[in-house]
Amino acid sequence: MPTHSDLLALLPELILTLSAAALLLIEAFLPAMRRYASELSLLAIAGAAWARLSLPLPGASWHGMLQLDAVASFVDIYILVAMALTVWMAGPFLRRNHAEHGEFYALLMLAAVGAMIMACSTDLLPLFLGLELLSIPLYVLNAFFRRVPVSLEAGLKYFVVGAFAAAFMAYGIALLYGATGTTDLLQMGPVLAVAGVTSPLVAVGLSMVIGSLAFKLAIFPFHGWAPDVYQGGPTPVTAFLSVVPKGAALVVLLRLAQGLDLFHLNNHWVWAAGIMAVASQTLGNIVAIVQRDIKRMLAYSGIAHMGYALVGVIVAGSDGSSAVLFYLAAYTFMNIGAFAVVALLSEGESEPHLISDLAGQGWKRPVLSLALTVCMFSLAGVPPFVGFAAKFLVFRSAVNQGLIWLAVLGVVNSLISAFYYLRVVYVLYMRPLPRREPDYPRSRTITAVAAVAALAVVVLGTLPTPLLAAARSAARMLVR
Amino acid sequence: MHVPHLLSVVTLGPIAVAAVLALIPARLERLHRWLALLASVVSFAVSCLIWTGFNPNLPGFQLDSGPIPWIPQLGVSYHLGVDGISLLLVLLTTLLVPVVVLGSWRSVTEHVKGFHICLLLLTSGMLGAFLSLDLFLFYVFWELMLIPMYFIIGVWGGPRRIYAAVKFFIYTMVGSVLMLVAILYLAWFNHQLTGVWSFAYAEFLKTGPQLAMGTSFFSSPQMLVFAAFALAFAIKVPMFPFHTWLPDAHVEAPTGGSIILAGVLLKLGTYGFLRFNRAMLPQAWEAFAPMIMVLAVIGIIYGAWVAMVQPDMKKLVAYSSVSHLGFVMLGLAAGTAASTQGAVLQMVNHGISTGALFLLVGMTYERRHTRMIADYGGIAAIVPVFTGAFLLVTLSSIGLPGLNGFVGEFLILAGAWQQHPLAVIFGALGIVFGAVYMLWMVQRVFWNPLSNEENRSLKDMNLREVLAVAPLLVFIVWIGIHPTTFLSPMEAAVRLLLGR
Repeated sequence: MPTHSDLLALLPELILTLSAAALLLIEAFLPAMRRYASELSLLAIAGAAWARLSLPLPGASWHGMLQLDAVASFVDIYILVAMALTVWMAGPFLRRNHAEHGEFYALLMLAAVGAMIMACSTDLLPLFLGLELLSIPLYVLNAFFRRVPVSLEAGLKYFVVGAFAAAFMAYGIALLYGATGTTDLLQMGPVLAVAGVTSPLVAVGLSMVIGSLAFKLAIFPFHGWAPDVYQGGPTPVTAFLSVVPKGAALVVLLRLAQGLDLFHLNNHWVWAAGIMAVASQTLGNIVAIVQRDIKRMLAYSGIAHMGYALVGVIVAGSDGSSAVLFYLAAYTFMNIGAFAVVALLSEGESEPHLISDLAGQGWKRPVLSLALTVCMFSLAGVPPFVGFAAKFLVFRSAVNQGLIWLAVLGVVNSLISAFYYLRVVYVLYMRPLPRREPDYPRSRTITAVAAVAALAVVVLGTLPTPLLAAARSAARMLVR
Repeated sequence: MHVPHLLSVVTLGPIAVAAVLALIPARLERLHRWLALLASVVSFAVSCLIWTGFNPNLPGFQLDSGPIPWIPQLGVSYHLGVDGISLLLVLLTTLLVPVVVLGSWRSVTEHVKGFHICLLLLTSGMLGAFLSLDLFLFYVFWELMLIPMYFIIGVWGGPRRIYAAVKFFIYTMVGSVLMLVAILYLAWFNHQLTGVWSFAYAEFLKTGPQLAMGTSFFSSPQMLVFAAFALAFAIKVPMFPFHTWLPDAHVEAPTGGSIILAGVLLKLGTYGFLRFNRAMLPQAWEAFAPMIMVLAVIGIIYGAWVAMVQPDMKKLVAYSSVSHLGFVMLGLAAGTAASTQGAVLQMVNHGISTGALFLLVGMTYERRHTRMIADYGGIAAIVPVFTGAFLLVTLSSIGLPGLNGFVGEFLILAGAWQQHPLAVIFGALGIVFGAVYMLWMVQRVFWNPLSNEENRSLKDMNLREVLAVAPLLVFIVWIGIHPTTFLSPMEAAVRLLLGR
């Protein structure tokens, strides 16, 4: 039986779940209220954030299956911020595409609850539950524009691949349970420390669990789904998809790495993960160069970025973990900012979002273009933007651990990435407007989302101290 | 007069003005121009204030802002300070910015607001890089220069501007990313030795020389760190064979962009060599100095030869930069007090002379929309004032005694003579070649018979153009006649830096 304090510990999740239910009821019985779904969702998110920030963090709860510590809190806030930005831009976006349904927000909230559960699980079973709760709403959301073939394709692809990943996860959990007799990461660590991870059962089980997380992260060689899904899904969903599941999966990886002392127990794991990280960066960056569709480009850029973040996971310790947490927050703002602009600079959802269609917009839509430019430079890791601070922290942690090769290959990859990020900027400002001027929609709300995200990119980049302090105190909980 | 935070004012002021410009509607073009001019003149005045308050007898950093914690968790701080070397470069930078604003008055007609915002951000980047006493801060300013320059070339440049802008960006970034790893490594090493996380220049000055030299290049941390820094700076200088981005960038950049690029940005490379490679990694410097010297001499000769055959005036001046910067590197590599002082002075000289040349070439381009030497000829009688200015700048550039170029080149060659006579001989050959290509160009443009009838209606310089070029001419003569004014502030700093 859950105790009172157990329930209180999950209050933010409960608020979101109940709000999701309420939204579904409103959709069914009060369709006139549907116009306010976006605002209601923002209210629920604010409530959840308030609950997470103001209630004390109980630490282990639900019989030790969930660990509501500073890490969970950091990630919860990160997820809530990402969701708030998504919801904020979703309102006008759905209205424009005549798809204003309360289910959209309800599904988004359930997905966020799943991600939040993942972030606080220290047991493989709630982890699996969280993963599924995160994934299933996203399958639906990707196919939300059911009359747009690419959207349907995105939903189906994500579903097939996601189901595959879930099966991996379940099988991996079973094998690990068979080898160690527990699903609790905290208990598994000491068992493995004695038994070692050389036993095939453990190695295969761990590989499957990590592989399934790598699916969510779109890390090489599990990245294949990302471009099609990014390209096809509704843009706010893509924005959400590009940050929230990745954040949750990275935190699980951090917990796994810390709990099992993965990158210490066996140096093979360092090599394996290191190669995955570098391969992700290289593949993502090189293939991104030839993309013509900006959403596909951002998909490959995301593959590369998770490669950088993985470096921090490998370094582990409080340095590496705090770098990863910082990276997550940084990545959220620059990515969502970019997608918000993409949502506005396209004629319709069924149209491709070609980079070349941005020609000359720099002078025509200055705020939007400046926001996109800031996000692009930040993604490329140019100071003084937050993307630089994030990469700096990751590479710093790698150098301090003696993993200089990872840092060098990482910066070389940043260099390659500058090429395609710059191209967006040059198309914006240095190409003339086409003769037939594209008729792009205007929306104050979405412009505001882009501006807020870009502002966060600048402010967090020049004054990273508070965010870094939060990431560090969270990481300290992790390492303990 | 003591004004607190003078350095912060001069460094961050332009960013603040840029923010103000951002709020003013783009259609008020004249207001943007005047505000930018005002801001740049004020920043020159402020740096003159720094100059007058500067005590030339103190070798260390003055007007030290003190480390202000910025990212305390990592030991990163905001820390500015000026010594005799950076003082001159700050003066050069703030001198050139108003010149650029004036020089762009007519030639930049599109997106006027954006141009001036970029220019002001660029100014902050350059000044910050010269004044930073924290390597993280230095890196931020170093990269901060990149984005506005990319825009200046790419938006307001010539026909192949996009190629040139991307090339500029990627080349510079190639160098700087490895420098970032080297900075991280230095910080880690500093932490190993002292137990303190810091990116302070003063700390690295102490711990950098303790990096092991090892037996071979790849087993020597100091050599590897040196190479990472050197690559960043060699591309910026640019040293042969890293110079290929320069002609493209110069030819495509608008006049103002070329002035800043040649006048200041290239100096950041040579400044970096002196400030970081030379001072922080002295043993590796000893090991690398012969190679740097050889590349410098090759650059001098090669740049001169390639300049000689250019049909395009701007390209000629661009290649002459490769040659002149070769002199600076030669002076640094020789490493004596005289040659180093000469090198620093030559950085300033080159900034002024080449900046002026680009400005003047830009004026001809504005009138005739061509930079081809063959399209001109015999215009001396038509535009006498312009011809006079051009001739003076040319003579300064080829090192005529009594003008600024002579002092720098003489000090470099005289300082290097004792230990490196061969390099000096080749360097002196470069001076001869320099005279050849510059004077030959002047002859073909100004004196040969008037072959092109269109040139008959050329207008001479107007007041604005005279005002733009006059300050540069003043400094050309001033440095030439009384170099002590400029040499004495840096003498103590150079001696301290060279450790003797």
